[in-house]
Amino acid sequence: MIKFNELNKWYGAHHVLQNINLEVAKGEVVVVCGPSGSGKSTLIRCVNGLEKFQSGTLIVDGLSVADEANLRQLRMELGFVFQQFNLYPHKTALENVTLAPIHVRKLPRKEAINRGREILEKVGLGDKFDAYPQQLSGGQQQRVAIARSLCMQPKVMLFDEPTSALDPEMINEVLDVMVSLAKDGMTMIVVTHEMGFARKVADRVVFIDKGVIVEVAEPEAFFTAPKNERTREFLGKILQH
Amino acid sequence: MTLFLEQLQGIAQYYPVILKGVGVTLALSVIGIVAGTIVGFVLGIARASSNTLLSFVVGAYTDIFRGTPVLVQVFVVFFILPEAGVELDSFTAGALALSNIAACFISEIVASGIRAVPVGQAEAAASAGLTRLQQLRLVVLPQATRMIVPSLVGQFVLLVKDSSVVSAIGLLDLTRSGWIIVQSVPNGMLVFSVVGIGYFLICYPLLHLSRRMEKT
Repeated sequence: MIKFNELNKWYGAHHVLQNINLEVAKGEVVVVCGPSGSGKSTLIRCVNGLEKFQSGTLIVDGLSVADEANLRQLRMELGFVFQQFNLYPHKTALENVTLAPIHVRKLPRKEAINRGREILEKVGLGDKFDAYPQQLSGGQQQRVAIARSLCMQPKVMLFDEPTSALDPEMINEVLDVMVSLAKDGMTMIVVTHEMGFARKVADRVVFIDKGVIVEVAEPEAFFTAPKNERTREFLGKILQH
Repeated sequence: MTLFLEQLQGIAQYYPVILKGVGVTLALSVIGIVAGTIVGFVLGIARASSNTLLSFVVGAYTDIFRGTPVLVQVFVVFFILPEAGVELDSFTAGALALSNIAACFISEIVASGIRAVPVGQAEAAASAGLTRLQQLRLVVLPQATRMIVPSLVGQFVLLVKDSSVVSAIGLLDLTRSGWIIVQSVPNGMLVFSVVGIGYFLICYPLLHLSRRMEKT
């Protein structure tokens, strides 16, 4: 479904992504973790073309991301959830969710609204159709953001630290939605430090440090027997509490 | 007191001139506001675009007009353009100069509004497959416009008042109607008070509107 091949990216002289090779199969859930500044956000932002890269290839659903002409087509099939939600503040929850289906998928308004309502109900926001983002809590906003992506019926969902901007008591309501998505068979790449989530639903965990993929393993092996010294050190730091 | 009333009556009999002046000032203001806003938005979008050359050219153009007196610009349009073969009557020349300067100021306001919308907004819209134009029209501009309404209305008020410069090329606007009346009425202070009140009556609804919109 997604295939990185020898991908490299520089910001000026800074080599943010180095020889990235990674393949994500249909239906697979891959969790990406690593210290801040390791390039994990840059990596996931490359997948839908929000970041450009200088060398290597990245193929998503058979299309090259490097080719500007493919981008719109690709993005229709890729849901992207941001750390800061990025909901449209001038639109209600339902309007946020139906905007792209109406204007990009060209769905009839009525059909889009029905689908939007259904999906908002699914993420537990059946009573918030007409609420504006600033009237919602962080956890609710992030669930609207997930619903907004889902309403496009994407083939892949990308999550860039979806719970990092949330108060602790709201993290689970967002993770619950993501867990149920994973169980429904959605292909997902999730950048997160939520190791409980990784353990529960990830098929593989990728550890990235200083722009290099250090280790890729199934969660059980990743957490109990990490092979690399840097992985052990990182896990020691985030799991000690 | 009776003298004052007499003088006021003296001015009142010139009401056709004043009405004509109000009409011209209103017409210039409406044309300037409508054309200036439309062109200003187009220039502002170009100014805020990621195309640095386009942004620079628009910025240079607007700086030239924002940095020179409107009176000079009106003179250039009315007296210098004919030498280049562009003959305009005084109303067209005035309307053109005023619309242009309004567009220049409004473009910078629009550009600053667009830049004030967080990058994440356009990124979210792009991620959902919206085209550049859709991102702008559906997501970025509505938010930018909301932020700049008070500055925009302030610019409209300035435009109404600046329109008085067209009296210099012989257009019978509100200011010029004052000049004409003062030649046959002894109390100049009173005449221009009436003129001032006329401008205020045109501007006040705009100021009121701006204050109401700021609250929402």
